[in-house]
Amino acid sequence: MASAPGPERDLRLLAGCLPLYPPPPPTVGLLSMEQQETYLELYLDQCAAQDDLTPPRSPLFNPVVPYGMYILNASNPDTAFNSNPEVKETSGDFSSVDLSFLPDEVTQENKDQPVISSRHETEENSESQSPQSRLPSPSEQDIGLGLNSSSLSNSHSQLHPGDTDSVQPSPEKPNSDSLSLAPITPMTPMTPVSECCGIVPQLQNIVSTVNLACKLDLKKIALHAKNAEYNPKRFAAVIMRIREPRTTALIFSSGKMVCTGAKSEEQSRLAARKYARVVQKLGFPARFLDFKIQNMVGSCDVRFPIRLEGLVLTHQQFSSYEPELFPGLIYRMVKPRIVLLIFVSGKVVLTGAKERSEIYEAFENIYPILKGFKKA
Amino acid sequence: AWPTWYSLGDARRPLHETAVLVEDVVHTQLINLLQQAAEVSQLRGARVITPEDLLFLMRKDKKKLRRLLKYMFIRDYKSKIVKGIDEDDLLEDKLSGSNNTNKRQKIAQDFLNSIDQTGELLAMFEDDEVDEVKQERMERAERQTRIMDSAQYAEFCESRQLSFSKKASKFRDWLDCSSMEIKPNVVAMEILAYLAYETVAQLVDLALLVRQDMVTKAGDPFSHAISATFIQYHNSAESTAACGVEAHSDAIQPCHIREAIRRYSHKIGPLSPFTVLGRRRDISLLALN
Repeated sequence: MASAPGPERDLRLLAGCLPLYPPPPPTVGLLSMEQQETYLELYLDQCAAQDDLTPPRSPLFNPVVPYGMYILNASNPDTAFNSNPEVKETSGDFSSVDLSFLPDEVTQENKDQPVISSRHETEENSESQSPQSRLPSPSEQDIGLGLNSSSLSNSHSQLHPGDTDSVQPSPEKPNSDSLSLAPITPMTPMTPVSECCGIVPQLQNIVSTVNLACKLDLKKIALHAKNAEYNPKRFAAVIMRIREPRTTALIFSSGKMVCTGAKSEEQSRLAARKYARVVQKLGFPARFLDFKIQNMVGSCDVRFPIRLEGLVLTHQQFSSYEPELFPGLIYRMVKPRIVLLIFVSGKVVLTGAKERSEIYEAFENIYPILKGFKKA
Repeated sequence: AWPTWYSLGDARRPLHETAVLVEDVVHTQLINLLQQAAEVSQLRGARVITPEDLLFLMRKDKKKLRRLLKYMFIRDYKSKIVKGIDEDDLLEDKLSGSNNTNKRQKIAQDFLNSIDQTGELLAMFEDDEVDEVKQERMERAERQTRIMDSAQYAEFCESRQLSFSKKASKFRDWLDCSSMEIKPNVVAMEILAYLAYETVAQLVDLALLVRQDMVTKAGDPFSHAISATFIQYHNSAESTAACGVEAHSDAIQPCHIREAIRRYSHKIGPLSPFTVLGRRRDISLLALN
């Protein structure tokens, strides 16, 4: 494998709370259920503990890759296995961070982050996307790591001057003895979609929620914030908009917030943080708890017309097609649980995903079926 | 006016006379339905015609009722999905106040719950039986579309998307709602539009059946026993292949419609189980049924 510091540190970042030494064994051991759950609990406890701490001055807090929290859904053991290992980048979870003192440069770093993370993300998605039946091959794993570590090591070393160490110690300890496992288990090659002529669904909208964990005076917010609407007679929330990332937020007096319109997970999180900061600046003790992606929408074009009458007949139990009501066929895929809107023109909209990989997987599943109903 | 027939199984250019006739039939059926619904709402002292009134009128025909319920659920489901996709839709839904998710389903469930004494109405919600009529329509559409080229198919799809609910105000005027004392509310109008569409579909189904019956192959003793769909399939395949250009002979004739009404009046229309067919050719009598 590569030279010592680089990949190990990357692994640390990638693996987060997991022990790094030695590098992952060539054979993959499957995490047992208990191990997964223990691991999860430990991780979540640690995050919860961090939420309650007031962060020290120094850290340029790891404006780290975002989607650690939401990928860890204990309710879904299948994906939990796949995603656990990759997710650990976010152990420096800044969910409770008071950002008001941060200079605006922080947002610059965030801009860099998405680039890195999306690269990493693609790898993760290819990993988590394929069905469990495939055993990872050692060679793929090494390739995955090798490729990733080189791209990540540089950027990570820039952005995380030393805080990883300061942030990491506690998570590492409890976990170092609990598990021996392969943190990275890529199951498929790097490219997210390999079988569909390179058509990759693009994310169009992400809906996420976060808890600012304090009661809010909506009137005050509406009066002092820019781009805020509040009409209590119509709707009991403030509607706020920001331009970058272009999103809309619904902010409720309970402190809960919904953020819509982002085109990626990172952007959604970034936008949510920005709204949180606005609220903070207005004097509320806003935190950033339980950020969760609730829905992801993707779309793509298969570029041939589709004969929907054929599809609805052969896939009756999954499809509804009422053209006088809606021009698209509504296809309810069971695994993954995604709803697809399929149009005669060949455009496909996928919705209902909690993770990007579900969108890719659903599209991979539907593509051969659609090809079968191509209208010449 | 109503190019929906192409999409329901008629030829590409329906005959004008047929169109006029069908429009008439549907119109009278709906007016009749509206009047009865108005009576029902008056009985309960309401000021608007609600979906509950329509459901009440249809309670006797389980199959039609089930189809209507399924349609209502699909409408709910589709709004839910579309809401999740577009942030503007989501916003609008929130702003519109009351909880809109599954509102049609709730209306239907609550109402049927209240009038159901034997449990058979509520059982319909669980009922997963295949809707044969719908199945046949799907199969017919599939056959039709299989042989089309992509241009024809595009046109076909467009015509399928037309419905009475798209031009809601025109539909309302057509039914002369403004002159009514008690008017239907929004969801009731949706149901009426759907029922209008269903009535047209039914007439086409039955007219096609009649037409197929009329085509007897001389010398073939079993022609009457072969299923309608089978023959129709062959007919349409042949005629389309043979003509290339759509021929008017392919279209449903008024006589097919009339014969269908004569034969199947007990099945036509939303209130069909109540229908008692008049002898006179005059279509307006159908309205009494």
